[in-house]
Order: sequence, then C-alpha cells, then structure tokens
Amino acid sequence: MLLALAWKNIWRNKKRSLIILVAITLGLWAGLFSVAVMIGSWDTTVNSTIDRNLSHIQIHTKEFKDESLISFFIPGGNTLADEISELKEVKDVSARVLIEGMASSPSSSRGVKIIGINPDREKNVTTIANYRVEGEYFKGIKRNPILVGKKLADKLGLKLHSKIVLSFQSVDTTLTYAAFRIVGIYKTESSPFDEAHIFVRKSDLYKTMNSQPIINEIAIRLNSSEDLDTTYAILKKNYSALFVESWKDLAPELEMTYEFLIVEMEIFLAIILAALLFGITNTMLMSVLDRVREFGVLIAVGMKRIRVFLLIMIETIILSLVGGIIGMALGTFTIWYFSDKGIDLSLFSEGLSAWGMPTILYPILPLYFYGVLTTMIIITGILAAIYPSIKTIKLRPADAIRTYG
Amino acid sequence: MSLIELKKVTKIYDDNAVPVRAVNEVDLKIEPGEFTAIVGPSGSGKTTLLNIVGGLDNPTSGTIIIDGTDISTFKTDQMISFRLHNIGFVFQAYNLIPVFTAKENVEFIMLLQGIPKEEREKKAIELLESVDLGDRINNKPTELSGGQQQRVAVARALASKPSFVLADEPTANLDSVTANNLLDIMEKLNKDHQMTFVFSTHDARVISRAHRVVTLRDGAIESDLPTEMQVWKKKK
Repeated sequence: MLLALAWKNIWRNKKRSLIILVAITLGLWAGLFSVAVMIGSWDTTVNSTIDRNLSHIQIHTKEFKDESLISFFIPGGNTLADEISELKEVKDVSARVLIEGMASSPSSSRGVKIIGINPDREKNVTTIANYRVEGEYFKGIKRNPILVGKKLADKLGLKLHSKIVLSFQSVDTTLTYAAFRIVGIYKTESSPFDEAHIFVRKSDLYKTMNSQPIINEIAIRLNSSEDLDTTYAILKKNYSALFVESWKDLAPELEMTYEFLIVEMEIFLAIILAALLFGITNTMLMSVLDRVREFGVLIAVGMKRIRVFLLIMIETIILSLVGGIIGMALGTFTIWYFSDKGIDLSLFSEGLSAWGMPTILYPILPLYFYGVLTTMIIITGILAAIYPSIKTIKLRPADAIRTYG
Repeated sequence: MSLIELKKVTKIYDDNAVPVRAVNEVDLKIEPGEFTAIVGPSGSGKTTLLNIVGGLDNPTSGTIIIDGTDISTFKTDQMISFRLHNIGFVFQAYNLIPVFTAKENVEFIMLLQGIPKEEREKKAIELLESVDLGDRINNKPTELSGGQQQRVAVARALASKPSFVLADEPTANLDSVTANNLLDIMEKLNKDHQMTFVFSTHDARVISRAHRVVTLRDGAIESDLPTEMQVWKKKK
C-alpha cells in the first residue's frame, strides 16, 4: 500500500509531476543522444582513419621509424607479409613502399609521401579505392599511373590524365625523377591527407629506381577489430626485431581524443544529473510542503518515521524511474534511427575535413552505458529525495496537523 | 486503574520572548467508557492538553499514564507505535488521505498494524457500515460531504481497536444536523462498545451530549463535573 500511496501521491498534482517528468525525460534523452553522437563521431573518425590508410597494425624497421628513408626497408619484407597474411585473424596485408618526395606540375610543386602499393591487395586493406571522385583506380593508363588527392590536384593545378613529375631519393641515394599520369583523383574526409599522399604501383617504383622488390611498411587489416590486442601481441612477440604498432600507437591523438571524450562526457552527464537533482529536489520539496498536515496526520495515527521517509523516497524514485525509462526509450529510439540513417553534417564539411572527420555521423552508445545511466538516475533520485524526506520526518505532528494548505 | 491519568502535567511554550504556560499542573483521571468533553475558551489549553494525552506533544513536566503505562518517557518511535495500537484520533479538519477511498483510509491504519489484507478489508467495511457509510466505501474524500468525511475519520480512529478516541473539535466544521448525526454515532459506539471518547470542544451541541465536562481556563482545570451539573445547562 506504501507503493500505491506513493504512486497516487505523484499524480495528485499532475501538472507538477508532468513538468518534472518532461524535464527528466528531455534531460536523459539529450544526454544519451549527445553522448552517442560524441562516441559515434569518435568511432567514425577512428574507423575512417583505419579504413583510409592506417589499417589495424603496421610493421616497419626501427630505423625507418627514426628516419623515413626508403633504404630502411624490411629485410625479406614480402615473405614476411605473406607469412602474416596466413594468420587466421588477418584479412589481408598490404606491403608498401614509402618514399618522401616532391610532386611537381608545370606551375607548382609540393612535398608528398609517395605510397607504392599493389592496387589489388591494397583494396583489401584500405578503402582508398572507394574515395575516388574522378577517373579510375589504376585502370586505363598502362604506364606509371598515379592516384592523387583532390586537394593536391587543386594546389598543383592538375586534372585527370595530367602529367605529374615525382622526384625522390632512391634506394641507392641517387635522386630520381619520374613522370606519372593521373589515373584517378580521390577525396577523403581529411583534406590534409589528400594534400600529402599519392598512390602509385610499387612495381612502377621498382622499375624507376631499378631496384629489387623491397618494402618499407606492412599494413595489416584484421577480420575484426576485437582481435587487435591479441594479434598485436603475437606479431610483437614474433617480430621483435621490427617495429610493430597498432593504430593506437600510430595515431595517438585518436586515443587521446577518446580519453578526453570520456572526461567531457562525464562532465556533461554530471551537469545534466546535477540539474535533474535540483529539479527533483525542488519538486519534491514543494510536494512535501503542500502535504505537511497530511504527514502530521500520518505520523499522529501511527506511521513510523522510517515509513514516511520511505514513502517520499519511493515517490521520488518512481518519478525518476518513469522519467528515466521514457527518456531512455526516446534516446534509444533516436540513437537507433540515426545510427542507421546517419546525421548529415555536410553543411560543415570544410571544417570537419580539416580535422579529418567524416561528414556523416553515426551515433552509437555501448550497451553498458544504458545500465550506468539508469543506475545514475536512481542514485540522483535517491539523493534528491534525502532533503525533503529528512525535512518531513522532523515534523512535529502536533504542529503539522494545525498547518493549513 | 484509570484509563488515562495525568499527574501535575505542565506545558510551557518558551519559543517566544515571553514563555506561555499552556497547561498548568493539570491532574486528571479518565475512566474506561467515559464520554468526556474538555471545554474552555480559545487559548485555554484544550488542544494542547489533548495533544499531550495523545502523545503528539511532550509535557514540560508531569506524568501521563495510559492504561497503567507511563508514556511521558517514551522515545519518538516508541510513542508512534503506542499511538498506533492504543489511541484513535479524530481531527477538526477530518484529515483523511485525499488519494485514498473511504475504505482505504480506514484500512491504512490496520495496514500499519500489519493486519492481513482480507481481514482489514472486512473490518474496514464493517466499520464504515457502523458509521452509516456502507454505500460510500469506494468514494474518495473529495466525493464526500464534511459530515461523511468526519464519519470516515471516526471509523479510521476505531480501526486500530484503540483504548480510547481523542477528538479535537470534531464538529467545528459541521452544520448542526450533521454534527448531531456524528454525535449519535459516537454516542452509540460509546454505549454499545464501551469506547472511551475524549473531546476538546467549545461547541455547545457536543458539550450537551457529553457525560462529563472538564472546563479549562488559562491552562488549569476550572471545573470537572458531570454534564447535568453544568451551570450553562441549568440556565438553559
């Protein structure tokens, strides 16, 4: 009956209860959705960075990590790459040649990173082929085709099928010049990436440099990101002479962003919960002050103070839970809807692109977070009920009964 | 042994600059089955005395013995439990729980006593029938007249099978017909079930129906006489 009394008490002032319910619902909905957008934006950024060029794990020589020279190639690199591709956790590997060089057009020149790839294997490791906005992915031009970023093409004043001259230091340290023709232009979410990375066939590079098939980088794509830690540990152990790095090491700013995001999220939720705390406390206090005489009667006729305390607690928890459940349902629905459709931020594409962020966000919220939030709302409800409850049980029935209102 | 015995009970309110002696060394005994009115002008200490007898307020000094138990030294929760099992209350403003029906209001006291649902439902209906409200058991207080609400309050007061019922100005908000009906019911309960009633009132209708009238003035007992000996009644 205590529960029934609490429930009925909540609805005796419908307007007041509805206002606080709407506040809790909206607060929670906004909290859930904002957190999902934050996590989703981070997750999309990470995924697109991994997809674009990073892959899950990369292997280099230790010397190459200190100084990015082509001469610091991985000894027996191609055999090693084949060996790694046999691991069951590995989807495919891309054995790459990396050279720092210059890209020149008749009008201008830029410093670039030349990435020599096997186009077919690269497609299994990164999604660079999907970012093509013009031309083809290494098709249609037989001799020295090159894939360049839109930003670089614009800066150098180049178009599809334009000639571009690359100059770089070859394995034997001689300065090499080679002309390539633009077979395709790509555009990723990251304009800095587009400006600084060009893709060529590594076989063309070997021919140009008159070199053996050497490689500087093995990029590894896993079947599932959940296998990252175990595969990373295996590779690190098996190839201890080399420098094995996961995407977390390769892009530490992403990991740092995540940690920052978590703190940001905690502060954000703390603000929402604090606002709810004061809102609920205020509502319950008003509700209690409206019923001083009634509580006086309840205590007078024999209701123990602990029961009065519990009654107010139950009322507050019900209020918080009902609002919490509606907010949670609304939040879940909104997240579910946008996680499928995505939130189109193309209006801000230029700014987002400078930060390497995609223009379509897919909000996601880990399942455990719903549990955490439910618990936090119940705790907020309990905290909010303490002051009004204490105020009530301190009532002297003789005085309370004489109160009017 | 008296049902209620007050020995040198004094209550001083010292919240204000000038302390107020609301009850002044009152000695009073009430026997089982009495139908007693405590009367006096406003500020004479009627309600304070009733609150002290009912354990709603503590005396500054003196002893209160109810059915042989000295309640003056009871701690808060001990007192609440004592009230639940021994004292029924009827208040001037009815003070029913507005969200409960008449039956639920009566049942609630028994719920606090831990009486099983079936038993308390049966008893609540019986009690409401005894105050002529058998047809209004599912009505909420707002759907009942003042007199009906006060009768629910009487049924609620009796629900805990108390040793006595304290009624603070029970007819103050009622018209004369309704007040008389209520008094008929209380008198019947007193007569049929030997239920002790103690009223505080300045309502002549209640005083005329009381079997004993204790008159307070300035917190002290001015007179304590059977009704038939009251001066005002003789004048009538």
